[in-house]
Amino acid sequence: MNAPAPALRQLHRLERNDALRSRMSSFLLWAMMIGLLLLSGCGGGGGADTTSNPPGGGEGGGDYNGPAPQTADVQAFRLALWENVRDENRCGACHSAVGGQDPMFARSDDVNLAYAAAIMPVVNRGDPDESLLVTQVADGHFCWLTSNEACADTMENYIENWIGGSGGAVNEIELSIPIQKDVGESKNFPDDSSGFSPIHTLLTTYCADCHVDSVDLPQQPYFAVSDIDAAYDVVKSKINLDTPEDSRLVVRLGSEFHNCWDDCTANADEMETAIQTFSDSIVPTEVDPDLVISKALLLGDGIVASSGGRFETNVIALYEFKTGTGSTAFDTSGVEPAINMTFSGDVEWVGGYGIRVTEGGKAQGLTDTSQKLRDRITLTGEYSIEAWVVPGNVVQEDANIISYSGSDTSRNFTLGQTMYNYDFFHRSSTTGANGDPAHSTNDDDEDLQATLQHVVVTYDPANGRRIYVNGVFTDDIDETEGGNLSDWASNFALVFGNETSGNREWEGTLRLVAIHERALTEEQILTNFEVGVGQKFYLLFNVSDHVGLPDAYVVFAVSQFDSYSYLFEEPFFISLDETAVPNSVPMMGMRIGINGREATIGQAYRTLDTTLEAADYSAASGLSLSPTGTIIGLEKGPESDEFFLTFELLGSSSNVVVEADPIAPPTPPDGAPVSDIGVRTFDEINYSMAELTGVSITNSNVLETYETVKQQLPTTENAQTFLSSHQVAISQLAIEYCSELVDNTTLRDGFFNDGTAFNFAAPPGTAAPLGTNWEFQVVLPLVDAVTQSTDLQPMAVGPTRTDMRDELLALITRLGGSGTATNSIAKGTCAAALGSAALLVQ
Amino acid sequence: MLLRTELSKFAIVIATAFTLIITSVTASAGSREKAKRIHDRLAGVPASQAVLDDMVSDIDGIGDGSGTFDGTPAGAAYTAMQNSAFYNVTLKNFAMPWTNREFTVFAPLNDYVATFIGMVRDDVPMNQALSADILYIGSGGSIPAYSNSDNAHYEALDDQGVNLRDNLIQTTQSAVTGLDSSATAGLMTTRAAAKSFFIAGTNRAMFRFTMLNHLCHDMEQVADITRAPDRIRQDVSRSPGGDSRIFLNNCIGCHSGMDAMAQAFAYYDFAFDADNDPEAENGIMTYNGPGVVDEVTGTRVHSKYFNNNSNFDPGFVTLDDRWSNYWRAGQNKLLGWSDPSEAMRHGNGAKSLGEELANSEAYARCQVEKVFRAVCLRDPVDAGDRGQIDTMIGDFITSNYNLKQPFAQSALFCSGS
Repeated sequence: MNAPAPALRQLHRLERNDALRSRMSSFLLWAMMIGLLLLSGCGGGGGADTTSNPPGGGEGGGDYNGPAPQTADVQAFRLALWENVRDENRCGACHSAVGGQDPMFARSDDVNLAYAAAIMPVVNRGDPDESLLVTQVADGHFCWLTSNEACADTMENYIENWIGGSGGAVNEIELSIPIQKDVGESKNFPDDSSGFSPIHTLLTTYCADCHVDSVDLPQQPYFAVSDIDAAYDVVKSKINLDTPEDSRLVVRLGSEFHNCWDDCTANADEMETAIQTFSDSIVPTEVDPDLVISKALLLGDGIVASSGGRFETNVIALYEFKTGTGSTAFDTSGVEPAINMTFSGDVEWVGGYGIRVTEGGKAQGLTDTSQKLRDRITLTGEYSIEAWVVPGNVVQEDANIISYSGSDTSRNFTLGQTMYNYDFFHRSSTTGANGDPAHSTNDDDEDLQATLQHVVVTYDPANGRRIYVNGVFTDDIDETEGGNLSDWASNFALVFGNETSGNREWEGTLRLVAIHERALTEEQILTNFEVGVGQKFYLLFNVSDHVGLPDAYVVFAVSQFDSYSYLFEEPFFISLDETAVPNSVPMMGMRIGINGREATIGQAYRTLDTTLEAADYSAASGLSLSPTGTIIGLEKGPESDEFFLTFELLGSSSNVVVEADPIAPPTPPDGAPVSDIGVRTFDEINYSMAELTGVSITNSNVLETYETVKQQLPTTENAQTFLSSHQVAISQLAIEYCSELVDNTTLRDGFFNDGTAFNFAAPPGTAAPLGTNWEFQVVLPLVDAVTQSTDLQPMAVGPTRTDMRDELLALITRLGGSGTATNSIAKGTCAAALGSAALLVQ
Repeated sequence: MLLRTELSKFAIVIATAFTLIITSVTASAGSREKAKRIHDRLAGVPASQAVLDDMVSDIDGIGDGSGTFDGTPAGAAYTAMQNSAFYNVTLKNFAMPWTNREFTVFAPLNDYVATFIGMVRDDVPMNQALSADILYIGSGGSIPAYSNSDNAHYEALDDQGVNLRDNLIQTTQSAVTGLDSSATAGLMTTRAAAKSFFIAGTNRAMFRFTMLNHLCHDMEQVADITRAPDRIRQDVSRSPGGDSRIFLNNCIGCHSGMDAMAQAFAYYDFAFDADNDPEAENGIMTYNGPGVVDEVTGTRVHSKYFNNNSNFDPGFVTLDDRWSNYWRAGQNKLLGWSDPSEAMRHGNGAKSLGEELANSEAYARCQVEKVFRAVCLRDPVDAGDRGQIDTMIGDFITSNYNLKQPFAQSALFCSGS
């Protein structure tokens, strides 16, 4: 498809703006009626210049013989919604002329009548997610999937595709007065798992066929494993300590009849009793009465921040991973056929929407549904793969994140990881059947990080392959020219986290995947990046009692960050009474409380020290308190964790926090006695030898040898680490110093001369052996030097003067007997003394 | 050079001699033996008989009428510290591992080490080591001048075996390097420190290695997960590999305090040509002074503070070099910060941060314990040792942070009995 001509593009824009205005008007009217405050939200906007509805994918799309659509909107309704719901296995079974159930929006005899029936209240064009069609399937009304949420998302996308896509939606925040409740006593899970034992017994007895990791078809979470601590760790979000009957473990049995072991009601009662017993054993946490606190809220008490604003006009497969249970990730794009992905191997759901793939797991679609990608993308000749990913590490290579492929060597496209790089394989007329050569991010840039990232790869013939990370083009230019996609195979399968063969394991988390049949523009990509991922709530913590203003709130945007924490960000102060204005209200030391106590970790706002001034305040947007966000650890789960705020100072209320002094660590016990001697280290040895011989450390021969053996000499004083290699190096250096000493007349005369000349040139046996001249002119000067002794003042530590003298004289005797030259004997004797422990030990 | 055959022959002989002789080492010590050990430990080389006589005289309370603390045992230690090897060998190798990331002693002399040596020689208060506008350069006819873009000056001093006791000249960094005096921070702003710790990265290395080398605490030892994480930059993933428990239980412990203090280095960098000079031998420390605007950040903050800033968008954005010491409260209060009644202290730039660090008890303790280890060749192991350490810390501080003091006291304490 080509881009629309400018005139057409302008028309589209006008139509979209009209639709937008219409939606805004109805929204504002509704908002005023219920007395709510409307805030213009942050960002969002963006979106496309054009909108185009995907061709209908309805199963009965080809056999409609009724009246032609009377308007373009009816045609859009037909393609995007009607074709997808009119079959007998969906809404058409009842809401049709055959089924006779009003409203007959799925009737197949006349699309115009069906259209008329679909207009309000069945479809809410201003607020698609409030459409009866959506809310009904969300409640389980004839949902055709195993997940009501997936049905609702799919139906919502049908409607959005009909009315013009979601690309132009404006992100709006609508703040309303939340439920007002005080911070209550709260039961928290004890660290010790022993109280959980009766529940664990039930789980291991009745749930271990699936909820353990060692069976053929393991089902997350693994709360039925025999390791009680491991089971306790993962089951907490399924237990409601405050109202045991609301625990998922109970509800699944009693209301959803999930694998009861005999009578569901009795089984649910048994489970509830076990949980009640556990709960009764836990002392509730009472909130500290000294704290200056706000009202309390659950995450669900917050106002959903619309995730609108994403550009999804050309999306043909969409995975938001909202289901949270089961082994299927649903394609909720609304473009049929849905490529639903079936898990195999180690794939688990993660909190805040997402799946985590490890150890060879994968999620794979069927080849016949996957063919949708080939069919649609080969028509446009361009596409984008968009994902929010969390690579598990930065060491994995040849790892497939998202792949549309048939084997290790054949693919239509693959987004993969090689350490810090994203790789983009893509089959075309200018690349191989395996999509190679890959287009990858630059090694030095390290664009891929093991953290949550928004990655988009696009392909179009003009620009080739492009990679965007966190909304920014990586500047890596595809060196392969763009080609056509005529060689794309139709029998490949879409797979996440691996190759279809299982040979390209990737470890990490996918939190959203979208395949678009167009190359997204940089603006569109940035828009989708800025919208973020996951469900965000605005929590309004009432602080009116402290600031003396009506309907005064500290508002946080809160989302589940991953399976283990919540993200709190964008805090601001606001009063929903438009006439109220803060007047120099001090605010200091704000902390986030959870389940009756302040969170220990993550209190980014405890350093807050500000004053709420009227001059900084706007009735429309409030007063921003901090640009910083923080994460707070998840405790019971998003359904049960109760949040509140505390303050050291807020208005006229204060609670002075004084941290206790830390306790000094105890005095360590006495260690084992250690040697109080050691060895000289490399430079000390070098300088010591120079000091004793008088040979300079800069002597060229000495310097050369020293540089050679320097790193072979001891580097630490610890004698326990002394090695034979150290001694060899010392010997080499000692020999070099002694050689320079003996060969230098001036130096040797100064060192060895005791008043009578020693003939170093004499042949063996003349100056030697064992004459007193050797002892007094050679040996004793050496011994005295290295032991720092004299005949009158012997050193009481180290070798005795006589022992060392005798040892060296014996050495001279042995060397003389073997015919060694006199000066060589002198050098050897010198080196034996200089390289000995007498000098080495300090 | 000797022939290889001769070498091997003598090596065998010497090895035999070593084995025999080391067995006869004894440990009973009189004044002379104490003097020998004091000299060995402080200077690293044997003393001459004359020096030994002088030291023995001091140890015996007699003295010779000259020298520091003459006629007292401390006088013996100060005599030993007169040996040039105390500067060229002991102090040089004492400080060299602080100047590189590998902690190697096998590195050429540099301005960091020379400045440290000079400060000890001249009794400059060591609590100024991380903040003063101070630099020591060498003198000598064939020594190239100090350069901001290489280490040739100090390498020449090293190669020529120049006596550092006599040939180091005190000056200022601002006079020699051109760095504004207010931006100087003692050893941290020497070229060698910048080359090792301001190079590439995020400048956290300067903080970590300063803590390690001068407060003797690596990050694991000061990690405190209860501090406010509001100053942790955007580049730190809050969910590494998709698991925020790692951040909440580990990363946050170091980064909450470290990032708040490493902000002091926001204007520094070590620039080098990565293509033609990958080892950065000709790199130059840079500092974004007033009026200098980084083209990426639009402020004086260097762009390295914005590396990977999309990892956690609501993370802290660095706008200036204002640091905060979050570790004045919590378990790291035990580091003994000056004026401990202040639960929080802020400042701007490396100089004031250096003052904050170097006036802590941990800093004084670190210097003393390093000296004790270097002189006594062991860590303190018992109550006697710990008591001696405490005494030396007190004396070090009251002596206006004169580092010769713990060297002398340690040498006497470990001189044998």
